[in-house]
Amino acid sequence: MIETVRLSKAFKEKVVVEDVNLYLDQGESVGLLGPNGAGKSTTISMISSLLKPTSGDVKLDGQSVIRDPSKIRKVLGVVPQEIALYQELSAYENLKFFGRIYRVPKDQLESRIQETLQMVGLQDRQKDPIKTFSGGMKRRINIATALLHSPKILILDEPTVGIDPQSRNYILEMVRQLNVQKGTTVLYTSHYMEEVEQLCHRVYIMDHGRVIASGSQSELLSILSNEDTIKVQVNQLTDAFITAIRNIDVVRRVEETGDGIKIIVQKSRNIISDLVKLAEQENIQILNFQMENPSLEDVFLHLTGRTLRN
Amino acid sequence: MIPVFLAQLAKERRNPLLIIVFVVACIGATMVFTGGIQTPTTIAIFSEEDHAQAIEEKWENLLNAEGDIRFVITDAAKAREDVLQGRSDVAIKLFEHDYQLIASVDLPTIQYIDHYVRKIFEKEAFINAAAAQSNHPAAFRADIESKLDHPLMEMDVTALTGDELSSYDMGTQLMFAFTLLVAMFMIGFRVNNVLKDKVYGLWDRLILSPVSKAGMYTGYLTYAFLIGFVQTLIILLVFKYVLNYDLGERFGLLMVIVAFFTFSMVSVAALLTGLVRKPEHFYAIYPSVIPLIPLVSGAYMLPGTMTNPVLTFIGDLFPLSHAMDAIIDVVLYDAAWQDITQSLILMILIGVVAMGIGINLIERRQSS
Repeated sequence: MIETVRLSKAFKEKVVVEDVNLYLDQGESVGLLGPNGAGKSTTISMISSLLKPTSGDVKLDGQSVIRDPSKIRKVLGVVPQEIALYQELSAYENLKFFGRIYRVPKDQLESRIQETLQMVGLQDRQKDPIKTFSGGMKRRINIATALLHSPKILILDEPTVGIDPQSRNYILEMVRQLNVQKGTTVLYTSHYMEEVEQLCHRVYIMDHGRVIASGSQSELLSILSNEDTIKVQVNQLTDAFITAIRNIDVVRRVEETGDGIKIIVQKSRNIISDLVKLAEQENIQILNFQMENPSLEDVFLHLTGRTLRN
Repeated sequence: MIPVFLAQLAKERRNPLLIIVFVVACIGATMVFTGGIQTPTTIAIFSEEDHAQAIEEKWENLLNAEGDIRFVITDAAKAREDVLQGRSDVAIKLFEHDYQLIASVDLPTIQYIDHYVRKIFEKEAFINAAAAQSNHPAAFRADIESKLDHPLMEMDVTALTGDELSSYDMGTQLMFAFTLLVAMFMIGFRVNNVLKDKVYGLWDRLILSPVSKAGMYTGYLTYAFLIGFVQTLIILLVFKYVLNYDLGERFGLLMVIVAFFTFSMVSVAALLTGLVRKPEHFYAIYPSVIPLIPLVSGAYMLPGTMTNPVLTFIGDLFPLSHAMDAIIDVVLYDAAWQDITQSLILMILIGVVAMGIGINLIERRQSS
């Protein structure tokens, strides 16, 4: 349905997106995962025709949309990262405004507004000004405005940034239903890997403007098929302890977590006894060991040496 | 275009404070700097003679026949009390052939009123004296009144150019200067909505919609034009009908000048919007620049006071000086269409050039 071919964007000398190839089939839900500054927003700005690429192409059903973006705009709903709403107006007035600019037929506009408000669970607050809403509610209306004209493709740019878990779950469930029940094609960007794991059939991982890995979740996780993830909870951490762990020959990566460390090791050998010895030497008390199944976060850590939220 | 326009209107309806503040500030500033409400001076007259009513009615007609002071028959006790309490400067006690001024303080206005009333009484005494010499006093009186109305020789005072000599009313000039100043603020703040919506992502959403770029700009700028025009209209209507300011006989032509000025100012605001990146920058720069425009345009000074060619040149780059020229011509010199064409053309020219450069700059900022 949508395909990008060697999509690149440079602002003066700085290349922010480089040779990005990705595709979305109809009805698919695809995740674009990467840390802040990875180039996700620039990529979707180019896909949605807001930004002209420096080189490369965006194709809709095999046809380039760079020169004539009207085709893609007709089928696209874009939820920007910022709350792009009139804060002084009510939820209803905002939806009416977006319905009018998207030329929703007059006789359908009222029913579409109510349907969309119901979908985001804010029917009872429709007369209240946006500025009185919580962050989560604003995000839900931000999404609702992109749904009024029933787009075939929905692009969401980090739609859950800075909101409470309840609103976050509501949004995720709403996007899942749109994809599953209405067959809307979804491109979802996030730096929360658990959101992408929950929603998306396929994932593209971006870093420094490039796609560094792609595939279904299982395909990506297979990158770590030869590795184990061990979480170690300790009473204190010292640099010497971490350095000593890094020096164990089978340890691939060591990452500090809030209350301990996460270690990615080769599957071939059990290093628990080594860890216990090193902890004793450094006078560190180990509180808990935990073997974990690898996640997309671990895949990212494996590929870049950094966590998604670095 | 229409949805964009309606959204701006809905925002204004939700929060009309700014327009109210501007209207009140403009009227307040004009009142402070031009000396208050321009209501005609009213003087109480009364008589305590035997046939008081006849005397009062006779002199009321004669005193009100000319001049801009209004003489009103009032109860004697009330007239005295008003003077005593300071509610009025003077009252006039009428006799058959004489009068007495009743005042509590000696004010310059009392001398002016005394001069006017004496002139009327002297004229009437002169006619009476002449009529008394005639065999037919009534016919003589009618004849002399007719001759006074149509004298054999009339003196006509004109300006050097041959035009009618008018007294220059600085208060009217200041009133228009303040009205256009607050309109410039309102217009600028509303044109800045383009920049605000760009920064907050609404502009991008509009781009992705079927609304064309031309439609988007037209929606925003037409709204800025309309709100600036309506604000000016409200203020002028208040001055004309509530505060009795003299706005001349051609209110329609005045509003045409205001429309040209508003268009031109929308364009200048678009140009200034194109020069900055963030709405906050605009809010910092615009209110600093705008108050200087009336100064360099000479809007607060008598015509001819501003002679510095550099300042005059800078002033002429903005529509205010041309609008003020046209307005003063219409209000004080009763100018017609053809007399103000040059000012209107200059405002259109400024508008077209500033709009072209402004939108170009805004678009460049978008793509950079």
